[in-house]
Amino acid sequence: MKYTTFNQQNSNPLAEPMFFGNPVNVARYDQQKHQIFEKLIEKQISFFWRPEEVDVSKDRVDFQKLSDSEKHIFISNLKYQTLLDSVQGRSPNIAFLPIVSLPELETWIETWSFFETIHSRSYTHILRNLFSDPSAVFEDIVLNEEIRRRATDISRYYDDLIFLTQLWQTQGEGMHQVDGVTYPVNLRELKKKLYLCMNSVNALEAIRFYVSFACTFAFAERELMEGNSKIIRLIARDENLHLTSTQHILNLWARGKDDPQMQEIAEECQDEARAIFMNAVEQEKQWAEYLFQHGSMIGLNKDILCQYVEFIANHRMAAIGLDTPFEVKSNPLPWMNNYLNSDNVQVAPQESEISSYLVGQIDSEVSVDDFGDFDL
Amino acid sequence: MTSETSISDDQPAQMTQDDRFVIHLDEQTSLTCSKDKTLLESLEAQQVDVHYHCREGFCGACRTKLLEGEVEYVTDPLAFIDDDEILPCCCVPVSDLKIRLA
Repeated sequence: MKYTTFNQQNSNPLAEPMFFGNPVNVARYDQQKHQIFEKLIEKQISFFWRPEEVDVSKDRVDFQKLSDSEKHIFISNLKYQTLLDSVQGRSPNIAFLPIVSLPELETWIETWSFFETIHSRSYTHILRNLFSDPSAVFEDIVLNEEIRRRATDISRYYDDLIFLTQLWQTQGEGMHQVDGVTYPVNLRELKKKLYLCMNSVNALEAIRFYVSFACTFAFAERELMEGNSKIIRLIARDENLHLTSTQHILNLWARGKDDPQMQEIAEECQDEARAIFMNAVEQEKQWAEYLFQHGSMIGLNKDILCQYVEFIANHRMAAIGLDTPFEVKSNPLPWMNNYLNSDNVQVAPQESEISSYLVGQIDSEVSVDDFGDFDL
Repeated sequence: MTSETSISDDQPAQMTQDDRFVIHLDEQTSLTCSKDKTLLESLEAQQVDVHYHCREGFCGACRTKLLEGEVEYVTDPLAFIDDDEILPCCCVPVSDLKIRLA
């Protein structure tokens, strides 16, 4: 089906599935099939922040004091995070927008991607402060073997879905030959690719960021690189919200609350979905090994980090109806909770003085007490 | 915010018997919680370890099985929760509860 930017056929968005129904026409939010996405948009926008608001200038002094193995840990993590957000800043838009059918979900995807671009910009902000020329760090992202291996796995499911969608939207269903390879294109095959892609994104948001987060916060526990830690806290808060959205999508499918065919596919592909998750866990553990190859840092080593990945994985897998395959019962890094708690996230400076920020705002809430000293 | 599920800040400080509920964690363990704190805060105040991240109902880290009883949300939960699950970080008990922590 050819993509159209404004579908002139009258369709009822309340009866459409999330994906592969009619293309969205009117961007209306007065009625929603899945209210949750509108709520997520509101929440995400309320989180708005700019990297430049966070002062990272002290980090430069701290960075000089780090040992070589700690510098390796810090910079490698920034490279990996830069890769993850480079992918996430564009891929949900390119992969999901051409096939989305609900206006509230379409806008959620755009909002989500936009925040990933804020994250990308914040890595440049951090690196520019540490190095007078950060080019070497950025250039290594496409050369570093460890990072490339992860990039392959992360982008594969997106690329498969995007390619098949392009074939479908230009040539319709059928067997299509491209560069000597024949691709079967039909709606079920497309939906399968979508299901696997969503699982891969869910695993990314659920697991892949957390080894890096743990290292950042371990530095902050030692009162080092605190500007960086402030930024990563803001990023972690956003990523938590993105994870909530992919968990909702997967659960809406699995519970038959959206497209009945997606429920069938969810059952059929459960093993594959689980394997995607387990593979992400395994890769994160290997990443921990790579980080600590030149030595550990105070308060954190490879084993504790791997246990933390398993602990988080149990929770994240349970959330999408999978088993909890790991033995870890208690949180091996309890201080992580303090950093992931949104109460501890510093608000933007212009918001901390609410009276001046909200110029011209009227407080429309009236309580009975306001009439306490009122006499007629 | 709907008035039924919200709790205003100007609630009277003194608690009545009606605002205290028994929370059963398993066959042996039970504790008393009041309506003036979220279930997560009450559990923490009594040294019960609960996994949490955001404490605002959007991340789902504190997701807990509700076996019996009823809760009211003080913040609209955004995280996915199953029909038999609650988010202790943003709810208060409105009856005695039987819960199973993850």
